[in-house]
Amino acid sequence: MQLWLIPIFPLLGAALNGFTGRRTSQGIQSAIAVGSVLLSFLWVLNILLNSMPAPGAEIRESYFTWISSGNFSLSVDLVVDRLTAVMLLVVTGIGTLIHIYATSYMSHEGGFYRFFTYLNLFMFFMLVLVMSGNFLLLFVGWEGVGLCSYLLIGFYFLKKSASDAGKKAFIVNRIGDFGVLLAMLLLINTFGSLDFKTIADKVKTMPVELSAGILTAICLLLLLGAAGKSAQIPLYTWLPDAMEGPTPVSALIHAATMVTAGVYLCCRASALFEHAPIAQDTVAYIGLATAFFAATIGLVQNDIKKVYAYSTVSQLGFMFLAVGSGAYAAAIFHVVTHAFFKALLFLGSGSVIHALEGEQDMRHMGGLRGKLPITFFTLLMGALAIAGFPFFSGWYSKEAILSAAHAHSPWMFWVAALTAMMTAFYVFRTIWLTFFGEYKGHAHPHESPAAMWIPLAVLAVLSVVGGFLFNVPHFLEGVLPAHAHGHDMTLEIIGSSAGLLGIALSYLFYVASPGLADSFAESFSGLYNLVYNKYFVDEVYDAAVVHPLERTSRGFLWKFLDQNVIDEGMVHGASSGALGLGSLLRLLQGGVVRNYATWVVLGAVFIFSAFSLLGGAR
Amino acid sequence: MTLEAFFFYAFTTLALGGATLAITRRSAVHAAISLMVSLLGVAGLYLLLNAEFLFVSQIILYIGGILLLFLFVIMLVNLDAGRGLRQFHQRWPLGAAVTAIAGVAFAILWSRAKLPPSQTMPDVGNVELVADTLLQDYLVPFEVVSLLLLVAVVGSVLLARKRA
Amino acid sequence: MNPAAFYPTATDYLRFLPELILTIGGVLLLVLEALTGDNKDKSSLGYLAIAVVLGAMFAVPVALANPGTSFNGMIVSDGFAAFFRMVTLLVGLFTLLCSTSYLSREKANTGEFYLLVLFSLAGQGIMAASNELIMVFLGLEIASISSYVLAGFLRDDKRGSEAALKYFLLGSFATAFLLYGISWIYGVTGATNLVAIRESLAAGTSGNSMAVAAAALMLIGLAFKVSAAPFQAWAPDVYQGAPAPVSGFLSAGPKAAAFAIFLRIFQTSFESFSSRYEPVLWILALATMLVGNFSALWQSNVKRMLAYSSIAHAGYVLVAVTTNSNVGTAAAMFYLAAYALMNFGAFAAVTHLAGRGESHVTIDDLKGLASKQPVVAGLLTVCLLSLTGVPLTAGFFGKFYIFKAAIDNHLYWLSALGLLNSAIAAYYYLRILAAMYMHEPKTTDHPEPVPGGIQLTMWFSAAGILTLGVFPGLVLDYANRFATFVK
Repeated sequence: MQLWLIPIFPLLGAALNGFTGRRTSQGIQSAIAVGSVLLSFLWVLNILLNSMPAPGAEIRESYFTWISSGNFSLSVDLVVDRLTAVMLLVVTGIGTLIHIYATSYMSHEGGFYRFFTYLNLFMFFMLVLVMSGNFLLLFVGWEGVGLCSYLLIGFYFLKKSASDAGKKAFIVNRIGDFGVLLAMLLLINTFGSLDFKTIADKVKTMPVELSAGILTAICLLLLLGAAGKSAQIPLYTWLPDAMEGPTPVSALIHAATMVTAGVYLCCRASALFEHAPIAQDTVAYIGLATAFFAATIGLVQNDIKKVYAYSTVSQLGFMFLAVGSGAYAAAIFHVVTHAFFKALLFLGSGSVIHALEGEQDMRHMGGLRGKLPITFFTLLMGALAIAGFPFFSGWYSKEAILSAAHAHSPWMFWVAALTAMMTAFYVFRTIWLTFFGEYKGHAHPHESPAAMWIPLAVLAVLSVVGGFLFNVPHFLEGVLPAHAHGHDMTLEIIGSSAGLLGIALSYLFYVASPGLADSFAESFSGLYNLVYNKYFVDEVYDAAVVHPLERTSRGFLWKFLDQNVIDEGMVHGASSGALGLGSLLRLLQGGVVRNYATWVVLGAVFIFSAFSLLGGAR
Repeated sequence: MTLEAFFFYAFTTLALGGATLAITRRSAVHAAISLMVSLLGVAGLYLLLNAEFLFVSQIILYIGGILLLFLFVIMLVNLDAGRGLRQFHQRWPLGAAVTAIAGVAFAILWSRAKLPPSQTMPDVGNVELVADTLLQDYLVPFEVVSLLLLVAVVGSVLLARKRA
Repeated sequence: MNPAAFYPTATDYLRFLPELILTIGGVLLLVLEALTGDNKDKSSLGYLAIAVVLGAMFAVPVALANPGTSFNGMIVSDGFAAFFRMVTLLVGLFTLLCSTSYLSREKANTGEFYLLVLFSLAGQGIMAASNELIMVFLGLEIASISSYVLAGFLRDDKRGSEAALKYFLLGSFATAFLLYGISWIYGVTGATNLVAIRESLAAGTSGNSMAVAAAALMLIGLAFKVSAAPFQAWAPDVYQGAPAPVSGFLSAGPKAAAFAIFLRIFQTSFESFSSRYEPVLWILALATMLVGNFSALWQSNVKRMLAYSSIAHAGYVLVAVTTNSNVGTAAAMFYLAAYALMNFGAFAAVTHLAGRGESHVTIDDLKGLASKQPVVAGLLTVCLLSLTGVPLTAGFFGKFYIFKAAIDNHLYWLSALGLLNSAIAAYYYLRILAAMYMHEPKTTDHPEPVPGGIQLTMWFSAAGILTLGVFPGLVLDYANRFATFVK
């Protein structure tokens, strides 16, 4: 089926734009960038329409043997099963729309071709990630998307905050990657393979008492990696900062695709998680905690993109909650619907920002309903979807997650429902503040060009009907481990009313009696400041991790061990550059060489004594 | 105490005492002369082991050659920079502690050691034995040493030469 | 007494051919240097030296085709030796390619430089192939003495001269430990041949515990040569002070050769002490990674940062050595080859970018390089990504194999801490990348063209890194096959 064509198109696009971009016009660059992704999308459709794999089956293409050392061997395999099919459609489909949007959004920015080179390169790595048949190839994509994300976050590098945000994303992700890498090594050691299918088969026949410890360790390490990529506690802090990147990047990478890679990884490793209940519970707790805390932060932010960023963190938390409750299909379902409405929200906010010439603070917006009618209407659809308004796309996936949480433990359901209410509240807060009331800024807002609003419209349609149209959990039956959940009418009603309540409350706060929010903030100023400052997590990390590390390495390792000085004796002695015996002696008597020699002696004595004491009498 | 044992301890005392003085004397000339004493002691030990060839080379090369050169240079350049400096600065407690630890470690190893029986060298033909060993078994190392010396000569000429 | 007279045969010479070619070539250069006038351009001598190295490279397969020991067991020609001969010769070739233009720029283009490189390579070849402690010592000394002189080759450069002296003083100090260890081994086993030592220790006739002391002393000497903590202090000063191509040479070639003898001695002769040296190596490996990575974090001088990074990489290789297994040896071999490519590639870039008198070697000087010299920046990026350990580069598989070997040998904590270290290391490579890609150039002056030799080196290393990143089997299969020693 020539699966390799799917990722290769964007790679060619990146190469073409990267090497010729200096000499070609923006039109050609746009055509290459959009065309290459579109070709991938069409090829995906072609493959899936002609030979959709049956549940549990897969299309596998093996290209060459990558590693073979001893009893361990691994080949470069691309695989399409139903899980990958869903991801492929999301990545290439949404990717195409966002590429189209970006050709217009970025047209006034410098480095146009550079932007699309990075973006196409990102598509290549993302497609490798979801199509890989084993962990190692997945890791290639995993690191690749991280690198592209770094480049794109720091795209406006003249702004220091942007390049800092890029750095932060890269470093935090490296910590997550450490988990994945170590997990892979342990997998090789345990199963002698990195192939998804082989591992899934072997884990089923593995005796529980043998496997419990090592499987838990592996799953927790994978969770570390997933938490890094998908911005979960404790590694979520990079994602809100990542909004320094251009808005299409926020939509594509930091909402629709890359950040869901962690969820995808957990689903791919579902066979392992099913056999490691402790790790699985941990996933649920982390997901729930992240969903809740990120939602509270989202309640009070004033930067529209920051609100959506924390919303993304929170929604990803929902997906992890689903994974932890064993409802993998519901998690993927939410990945899909979230891709629709969150891409829409980001692109819509981009349209607003574009119209207001870069303004992102909602306190300087308002009353834009009339001036940006298309943007307003599409954004409203997205907001209704994420709020879980009945029969919109988000409603279906959120209900599935809530009922799974209830099956896991009822208290989780209640916390999740509360979070859903907050979600509705903060999303509609952005709608009210942006489009209702009086305009409080000084720009001259204008509706965006067609290349921007057409993707918005398509995404709006998908956000409305996507959940009804694509029954992802049904499609994935037999692919992922499933737990039977009956439809519980009571739960659905509670879940739906949580969303409606949130919308109503925010209407009360921001439209019906606008002073209410401020007076609330004043009367609970302590709590408000705590939440507004994101619980001071960045500051705590700085004080607890970054500064001590810096102090130790600067103070001890650098100052103490690294004596980067020209010796006094040398400065006075070797003015002509000739090396006499005199300078040699002076160097010997100066401090530096003696210090070095002291280290050598200390090390020597350590090794000598260790040798004499270790290993027992012989 | 046999005569051999007497000479052994005498030469050892020379070797160790000379070495100690060589690193404790402040005057460079004194230090060099102390080193000469130490090397003489070692030469004596070679003689006790019936290694006449090594004994002779030790005297000719080290004492007659290298140390004399040292003395010439020291007197020529009048290097007494070391006089003003304190030889043993504040780190001596550390040095003592480290030496003590190393000593204990060595003692532990030594107490368990099982040394091979001492071998007596044949009384005659020592020089031929050295020649046989060098030019047969150790032919390649013997040749490679010349490469080492060549590198050393080139290197020292290069570093000492005035710039053209 | 050895009654059977020994006459070397032709095969003996064939097994020693690469070093013979290097030595003869070096001596030839010495003569030619004396014959050509002082003011002549000496680049032609550089080209001759390159030809000699290429000749030695062709001699490596010849030596490998005649496996076995030669000259009474002094030298052993096996796949392991051939591998390290090739790695060191490759590093030597890179050095010479980068040096001709560098020396002309610094107005120090004399033939001695080239012949010292050749002699050093001969010493490293002897190290790689020696099966005998005396040969080990001689090879090490030849390589070291050439290195001391090469480090201080620019005599007008104060930092370089100081670095050379420090290197010389501390290096001699460390060699003394090694030599003392060798003499103890000879004292208790009566042998200097590695296999004979193993047999003597296995037979249990000689004093085992004093052989332990000897092994400890030799470990100290070797740990210094591979710049393991706490014996690493010389490396940053030397790599920073030495001419840039020499820094690249020192950080890749002699280090690889030192690891070669490290592996060979400890796995051939001292395997029975593994319960003693494994815990020590565990600590050394961890300490080396920590010191290297954490000190590199705050450096502003690129050469010094690369020096600390090379210490950290020595730490990773030490992890492989700690496993004390064939898998670990193969991983170390692969890593050292990959490391030679990526580290020298980075130093080649620095050689060019430093400018006359090496006045531009801070990270700030690299700002905006991507827009000024996109090709150089791109090639340097490949090297840095490989040093970081990003997939699809040789550096990734190097680390992957090392930590796989460590996990296979149940070194779980060392692997976890090592991987965490390499995650931290990303930060300082990222600083260089960020400077190149995320800053405007400081000056607008037109960049100097990249000399051909440096260009060739950089392209070759980048291509090698990517090739090994996609097809690691090319080198790994070989390493796996020859990771065993003659015992």
